[in-house]
Parts: sequence; C-alpha cells; structure tokens
Amino acid sequence: MKEYFRYFKWIYIILAAVAVLTIGLHAGHWGLAKMADYQRTNGSCATEERVFDYAGVLSDKEENKLRKLIAKREKQTGCDIVLVTLDEPLEEYARAIEPNVVSSEFVRVYAERQWEELGFGYDKPDGDGVMLVDNWSREDDGRIHTWFCTTGRAFDAYYTDDIDHLLDNVYRYVEDDPYRAYKTYVNDFYHDMMGWRLFHLNLPGFLPWLIGFVTCVIFMFLNWSSKEGKKTTTATTYVAGRQPDFRVSEDRFLRKTVTKHKIQTSSSGGHGGGHSHGGGGGHHGGGGHSR
Amino acid sequence: MLFKCKNCGGNTVYSPEKGRMYCPHCESTDSGQKIGDNSLTQCTNCGAPLQLSEYTSACRCEHCGTYLIFDERVSAPYEPRMILPFHVGRKMAAEQLEREFSNRLFAPADFMSAKSLEKMEGIYVPFWLYNYDVNYDFAGEGTRIRTWRSGDTEYTETSYYEVIRKMDADFERVPVDASYVMADGIMDLMEPYDYQELTDFGPEYMSGFLSERYNQQADELAVRAESKVKDASENLMQGSLSGYASIRPYHRNLNLHKKNDCYVLMPVWQYVYRYKDQTYLYHVNGQTGKVVGVTPVSKAKVAAYGVSVFAMVTMICGLLMHVLEIL
Repeated sequence: MKEYFRYFKWIYIILAAVAVLTIGLHAGHWGLAKMADYQRTNGSCATEERVFDYAGVLSDKEENKLRKLIAKREKQTGCDIVLVTLDEPLEEYARAIEPNVVSSEFVRVYAERQWEELGFGYDKPDGDGVMLVDNWSREDDGRIHTWFCTTGRAFDAYYTDDIDHLLDNVYRYVEDDPYRAYKTYVNDFYHDMMGWRLFHLNLPGFLPWLIGFVTCVIFMFLNWSSKEGKKTTTATTYVAGRQPDFRVSEDRFLRKTVTKHKIQTSSSGGHGGGHSHGGGGGHHGGGGHSR
Repeated sequence: MLFKCKNCGGNTVYSPEKGRMYCPHCESTDSGQKIGDNSLTQCTNCGAPLQLSEYTSACRCEHCGTYLIFDERVSAPYEPRMILPFHVGRKMAAEQLEREFSNRLFAPADFMSAKSLEKMEGIYVPFWLYNYDVNYDFAGEGTRIRTWRSGDTEYTETSYYEVIRKMDADFERVPVDASYVMADGIMDLMEPYDYQELTDFGPEYMSGFLSERYNQQADELAVRAESKVKDASENLMQGSLSGYASIRPYHRNLNLHKKNDCYVLMPVWQYVYRYKDQTYLYHVNGQTGKVVGVTPVSKAKVAAYGVSVFAMVTMICGLLMHVLEIL
C-alpha cells in the first residue's frame, strides 16, 4: 500500500488541485449568481407567462416548478426564458409568413413570430432572452423539430456549437422525461450565461472516459515488460580488429533510365454554410434539432 | 576436492570482490589448502550422500554447506582450458537485479526480497569458444533513384550499378554454451564477456560456486556457432551495401572455415523465483553484471494500478472539462 501511495503521489496531488480549482470556481460562480439581480425594464411584454405547454407533456406540478425556476434564472441572467411545447403541424402557419421556408425551420418562424408578437425581452421588447419551441407533432418530413431562439445578449453569447450542445442535452432526456429536458434547457442557459465563456468548448461527455481508458492502456503497455533482456552484441563483436576486411568493394555504373509523368492537379471543393436572418426589426439567432 | 582453511579448517571460497581465495569463517585470505578426494557419491567433508547429475563438476553439500569440486570432471578430457573468474559478487549481483527490476510495477511484492535473493547461486557455465575464418563474395545489381519536378512533370532517374564485394573476417572466440540446463537464448543474451580476464583454469576459482562440465562436444555445437557467424557476416555485408534503393544479388558465396575451439567456464549468477506454481529464472553475468529475465505479473497489482490510473485520469479530465466549461 505504501508503494502504491508513493507511486500515485503526484497524480493524487494533481487530482486534489483540480478538485480545489473546480470547487473554487463553483463557489465564485455561485457568489456571482447570488449577487446578480437584474431588474426587468421591459414593461411592454404582453404576458407574464413563460411556460406554454400546448402539447400537454408536462403536469401542472411540473409546469409550476419550471415557472419558479425560470423566474429565479431570469433575475440571475437578465434574460427572458420562454418554453413552448406544441403538438400541431406548422407548415401552413410558417409558409404564410415565409413561403419558401423549409420544414426544419417551421419552428423557427413560429418562435420568432411569437417572440415579437408577445414582446418578450428582459430589458425591452424584442430584447434579451431565449425561447425553446419543441413541436411534438411530426411534419411531413416525418420528424419532430425543435428550435432554440436567442435575442439580445443571448444572441451575442451563443455560437452554433453552444446551441447544438444545449439542444443535445435537451434531447438526451426529452423523450423519456420532458420535464427533466426542459429543466436542463433552463439550467444550461443559466450556466452558459453565467460562465466567463473564455473557451467555447463543447467537448463530448465521453471524452474524459476515453482519455482515461487510453491512458490506462498506455500505462499498462509501458509497465508490462515481457522482454527478457537486450541483445548487447553487434555484428563486429567477435570480429578481429572489430572490422572485416573488404578486399574488393566496387560499384560500377552500368546504365541510367529516366521516366517522367504529369502531375495530376485536382481542384478541391469546399463546403460551408450557415445563415443569419433578421425578422421584423429584431435580431434573432438560434438553431434547431430534430428527432 | 575441496579447499580448507589452513588457519581454521573452514571451507575457503573464491571471493569475486577480493579476487582471491578467502575464508568466510576466520576471514583470512589465500589460506586455502586443497584436500583431494574423488568421491562422486558422498561429501568429502561430512560424508553425507550426494545426488549429482552426470554433468555436475562442482556443488554445495546440502548437509554441511561445503563447496565440493569433482576432480574427474575438471581434469582431462573435461579440463577447461580457461576460466573467467567471477568479478561480480553475490551482493553486487543482487543489487544489479534490484536495480533492474525494482521499478517493475506489476511484479509481486516479495519479488526482490532480501530473503529470496539469498538463495541466488553462482554457476560456472561450460562454453565452447570457436574461431572462424570467413570469406564472403557478393555480386549484384543495385539501383539508386533520384526524383525531381519541373513544372507539372515529375522525373524519376534510376541508375544501375554492378556491386561487387569480397569480404574477409576473422571471428574470434564466438561463444556457445554447452549446458542443457541453461537456455540457449538466455546464454546468448548474457554476452558479451570481456575475454581479457580469461585466465588459465584452476579449480580454486570454482570453490564457492556450482559448475558443470560440458554437456556436448564442440563438434555437436559448432552448428550454433556457425549460425552466429553467418548472421553476423550477413549483417556486415548488408552494412556495406547501404545507399542503394534496391539490391538484386546474382552471386553470393559465404565460406566458413573453423580454425579451432576452446573449452572454457563462464560465470553466471542464477536467481530462482517461484510465483503461483511457476518458476522464473533470472541470470546475471558474473563478469559484467548484465541482467536477463522476465518479471512475473501480479494480477492484483495490475488491477489496482490499472483501475486507479483509469479512475484518476478520468476524474481529472472530467473536472478539467468542467472547469473549462465554467470558464
């Protein structure tokens, strides 16, 4: 045991240091959240409701719990946080507003229109905030679409990867436990907004496990010595004078051939994309997932 | 025969550290006196029965601990021409083993315990040393390739050469162990020995150690020596053919001529370790201290260390990722 602890001394120290750092950061984070107390300045919002469960996937109790959580997080983040669940096809609705919109963005049209019509925004109408629209009805493409809409400070804070990360977390639970999924949406948004966001990293959750496994395999390999010993003789070990005598060593040039061929140059293609759009004078961002 | 101290009557042994005969009882040096007796069945000192293999030439009496050397197995036709006396003593050999294996993480806890190291034995292993003359003629066609680009065209120039080599080499004292008990691969890994310290054979060097006479004749083992010489000659020839992208040989003639051979005894320390009903052998070159052997693996240690590394690295990475997300 003594040998074991001596061997792992440094790794324990590193682990303790990282744990202390994590606890310290959490404490700092918690302190900042405690101190944060944004005052709502948007008096034109048409509703105080934040949870619109039209799909009926939440119980009354769950809706109330979400409302309480949202109220707390809104004060901490200074953003309106809205949740809408639907269970109706949106094609007709969306095409009436944007005739050429694709099926995956029907929810986006709905979210942006609702946001503007109801005048959401913590600081002003169409101001700081987010809305998650989860439409449980399958569109003609056979998929269920979800849209996460950002405006104001939330728009500035979220990159495409961050949106994907948040929606991935929501989708992890939504089929089995919608309440947990929507709670994750509210809490993830809070963490994203309260974080210092020096690094926009969305690393997969299995990465630490993978690194741990690979490190373990390398560690085993390095320490699992099955070699009997090194050969320490060379070809000249037993040769008198340590070198052979080359009586003849000739390299006679015979002939030469030259071949040539054209170098094929291939033109490389690229891919890329992305879109931004402004609607009705507001500046919306966001992204969607489907299942 | 055995060597007895003139001063105290104790069994004198050859001390590698002192490089001379030494009495461990009264600590006097060069006080050994040869006591002749040629019995192969009982100890010259205490009369206890001995159980020897047909090749044993020196042993330790299990009853009185006296080191015995058997005249008829160290005299003609079994008299070694030379002997390489032990240079590394028991203590130094144990230190070498510890140095080599103490950092083997998965070895059992008692692997290098002082108690088990006490059982280490010094053995003089019979070797044949062979001398060979080698003539190696080689002829072939070699190619050298150069490529360059000009505009959108790549040129490849292949030059062909006739390559001729005639090599002579004197291989001196190529060692081959003549013991059935010692694994050939292990004994090959013990090499090289420094032949400068080879000295004329004297039985006093054997007192304190175990030994065998040669198990096989020189001619029987010459094939192993030839194989070593051939491999080395091939390597030397290949070394002289560097610089070519490819070599197509069309003439190869390797001639080996055995000049003579010599029977010698070489020093090896052997440590036997038993773990989970398996025997593990470790050898230390009695002259150079080179160590050869494979450590056993304790499954409990593998599990403990492996799981610990996995768990701790995963936790550290998980926490770091969390920290980065917070930041």
